[in-house]
Amino acid sequence: MVQADQTLDCKGLSCPMPIMKLAKTMRQMEKGKVLELLATDPGSKPDVPAWCNKTGHELLETGEDEGVYKYYIRCSK
Amino acid sequence: MSEESQKEEKGIFRELYDALFEHSWEMWVGSIILAMLSICLFMIASPWGSSGGLLNWGQNLFSAIGLSLEKSAPAGVTALFEYKYALLSITMLIGALGSALLGKEFAIRVAPVGELFKGLFGGILMGIGCILAMGCTIGGFFSGWAALSGGALIFVLGLVIGVFVAVKYLLWEMENHPKMSTGKSGIFLQAKTKGISLQPLAGFIVVIIGAAIALNLTDQVLIGFTLIGLFIGIILQRSRWCIVRALREPFLTGDSEPAVAIIAGLIIGLLGFTIIKIMGIGSEMTMVGSNFWMPAIVGGIIFGFGMTIAGGCTVGSTWRAGEGHVKLWLSLIGIIIAAPLTAEYIKPAFLNVLSPGMKQQIFLPDHFTYLGSIIIMLLILLLWYIFAKWNERTGKLSAM
Repeated sequence: MVQADQTLDCKGLSCPMPIMKLAKTMRQMEKGKVLELLATDPGSKPDVPAWCNKTGHELLETGEDEGVYKYYIRCSK
Repeated sequence: MSEESQKEEKGIFRELYDALFEHSWEMWVGSIILAMLSICLFMIASPWGSSGGLLNWGQNLFSAIGLSLEKSAPAGVTALFEYKYALLSITMLIGALGSALLGKEFAIRVAPVGELFKGLFGGILMGIGCILAMGCTIGGFFSGWAALSGGALIFVLGLVIGVFVAVKYLLWEMENHPKMSTGKSGIFLQAKTKGISLQPLAGFIVVIIGAAIALNLTDQVLIGFTLIGLFIGIILQRSRWCIVRALREPFLTGDSEPAVAIIAGLIIGLLGFTIIKIMGIGSEMTMVGSNFWMPAIVGGIIFGFGMTIAGGCTVGSTWRAGEGHVKLWLSLIGIIIAAPLTAEYIKPAFLNVLSPGMKQQIFLPDHFTYLGSIIIMLLILLLWYIFAKWNERTGKLSAM
């Protein structure tokens, strides 16, 4: 289990709000720190890995728990 | 047991289920199938559209509560089950719900209050915009471009302006009023992560109900529209098909994939619609509105802004509503309320002040021949592709 330094709660939000908030939060994070993103939009399943891939942040782990999708992302910039 | 032998033991129906519902499809796959289904609809009667159906839902609602609609429906409102586009919108919603359940992606997702407000307000703007422009992102753009309508080109210009302003607004809101998108949220009726979920079974039943609605009709055109609507709903949800993304991402993440997907669908549509028109299977002026240029630009700007803050156009709201997003339920409600009122009270006055030159019905082949028009459309699509890819690589216009 990855230990997160910070959590971003995007539960209930639909596209594009989770990605917008993720981008904003990652800009303010220190390099190497890990963010836990919580989302309920199924669109986050393709979108978050694609965004990480594009921006170079490292997606460490994903999971799902009772309709909440969890993403652990290490800030790489 | 090794992984390989486990794979071999997977039943053939399990394999099919996984292929269809385990992951979202690429959006371009959805786009090409949707274009082909729209061609099928055109062969039956007329191509895919969305705002006409929702307008009819609203008109039925208003006439049920006794509101007079003598300007927008002088001969009376067509009943829901007698109007092909109203049925199409119903089964699109049912198909999306069934598809989300089958993929275990359904849940009632309640967004924070600020988001719900944006859904409703965005829906109202879309309701106004689609009536003024005489079509939405589907009839006015996805079908309109394929139908070689001059107004459809102007409509997209309006959409892009509306989308651009709305993206600026969303970025400003996130910085200055973050409370709009934070606060109490909720999720209900989601699929169980552990153990067996009943969602796929429920989804199967929902799809059967959708098909049963179609097969209980007697008119062939209505049956065709209702069944194809069900397919469209499923494809929309599986491929998360979204015109907002295609127009919005250049200004946001720079992702070009949604734009490429729409371009792929438009090329297929152009081919099919042109064959249907040239061969006389369908009418040449189908999906060519009298909206060049003023109605298209004004309606496009309003619609583009609305769909961006709502997070889905008319069909984007429909399939996401089926997936359980309450914000998009409100967006649909906004469209259903605003469209009939706009048609009754705003559109007649709006058209009245426009000179005939501002509300022309432009069919491109009348001016450039079919071949010339197709070349023009393909060139525009090529430029769009180059722009989307260039912007993705350079990040020149994207905010994130």
